[in-house]
Amino acid sequence: MSIDPPGPAGAENKVFRRFVVLLLLVLAVLAFVIVRSLQNLNRSIASNDWVNHTHAEISEADAIEAGMEAAEAALRTYLLTGDPRDRVTCQEAFADLAGHVEVAKALAKSAPVESQQILQIETLLAQRASFARDLLKARDGASGATVPQLLSGDTGAVAIHEIIRRLGDFKETENSLLAARDTAEYLQAQTTRWTELSGVALDVLLLAGAAWLVWDDLAARRRAVAALQEANTLLEVKVQERTAELTAANRRLTDQNLEGRWTNQALDHQLRYSQLIINSISDLVLVVTKALNISRINPAVTHLTGWNAADLVDRPLAHLVRFVREGEAKESLLFDPVAQALADGHDLRAQPALVTDSRGRQTPVHLHAYPVRDRDKVVGGVIVLQLVAPASTEAK
Amino acid sequence: MTTTASTSARPPAEPGKKHILIVDDERPIRELVAEYLIARGFRVTAVCSAAEAYKAARDDAADLVITDLQLEDSDGLELVEQLKSERPDMPVILLTGVLFDQKVVDERISKKVSAYVSKTSALSELLTEVLRLLKP
Repeated sequence: MSIDPPGPAGAENKVFRRFVVLLLLVLAVLAFVIVRSLQNLNRSIASNDWVNHTHAEISEADAIEAGMEAAEAALRTYLLTGDPRDRVTCQEAFADLAGHVEVAKALAKSAPVESQQILQIETLLAQRASFARDLLKARDGASGATVPQLLSGDTGAVAIHEIIRRLGDFKETENSLLAARDTAEYLQAQTTRWTELSGVALDVLLLAGAAWLVWDDLAARRRAVAALQEANTLLEVKVQERTAELTAANRRLTDQNLEGRWTNQALDHQLRYSQLIINSISDLVLVVTKALNISRINPAVTHLTGWNAADLVDRPLAHLVRFVREGEAKESLLFDPVAQALADGHDLRAQPALVTDSRGRQTPVHLHAYPVRDRDKVVGGVIVLQLVAPASTEAK
Repeated sequence: MTTTASTSARPPAEPGKKHILIVDDERPIRELVAEYLIARGFRVTAVCSAAEAYKAARDDAADLVITDLQLEDSDGLELVEQLKSERPDMPVILLTGVLFDQKVVDERISKKVSAYVSKTSALSELLTEVLRLLKP
């Protein structure tokens, strides 16, 4: 019996169907045995009736033989004594004999052979009765013949012997039937016994089969339960492992998230801090590209010049600042010193210059230029403009 | 997590957990560091000023202090001096955005604090220093 996969409904139904079929077979065998037993019982009862009937026929045959001998004896007695009482006895004996014959006829009525035998015996007995009546009449003197004359012509011994022989045949026939019936009953009893034993044995086998089915099903269920428990245990272990993996992954993600937020925060902090430092300087600070275009200014620039970042960003530095050449009265338009300093990577300090504000007014300043290096490469410059003290504003 | 913008609500004492005091005037910094350390099983008190740090340290002694350099009402190194005057053996980490040269750290900063961690460093580096300093 297959148990894999454990516990499917189809397998359970299959086992249940087999079990029911086996029980039905057990019931069928039991019913067959019961029916056969009842049939045999009825047959046995009928057979007993027949046996009793046959014994009654044999008894009547015996009674006929005995009655015939009694009647013959009573007839002889009367013939010898002439006593009326003996005559009555003789008549009663013949009457009894006739009664037994009637009973025997009735008993043998349903059997043609036996009935025929009884009729033949009755005929012979009727002859003997007729002869007896003749003797009685002769003894009573009521007929012309005398008793000795009648007796001398009687073949009584032969007739009686014939009757006895026929009665013997009749009884022998009946006894043969009885013997055959005994044999048949014995065989029937044996058949009944074997039927019952076979039925019981078959039932036992079928019940054993049913018990095996139940036992096997229970064993399969136990195996299925064990397999299920094992699967559950494995599943639980896998779930725990998976949960641990997810927890670790979640921890890593949380860490990455925190690190990311921390990095952003640190960057923001650094930018803000750098901005704060630059914005805190009261000198004018500008960042220029290597092409000397303004890319960034600090608030002091806007405060002093009135220009805001949108006005200055991406504009040439010359738009805001002009150098003053030593010994010259007017400002130079050239910015070669700054360009040269950035190209050479050198600082330029305290160069006199003029800042032009948004209203066209010019203010003298000292210009400082510092190259901005990124990985040993100058990418721009920081320009710092310091206001010149009023006492020293010769240019003005 | 017991980080607040301006108060130092004390976390419930939990046996076996090391207590760390965080001092920083920037709330996002405080909260991030506190969240990170709490996730690793520390008990954290986070405050935003030196005055709150003094109070918190008195109310619930810390096993370690993490402080910024520039505070609203003081600076971190001065705070460290004050705290160490009461508990000289208390480890302190200076967590600041001011980037010091290693030479400066070795010659100046390391005399006042147990460790210096830049805010540009990863949190895992801060944790490494915390674990090193709290190692029994």
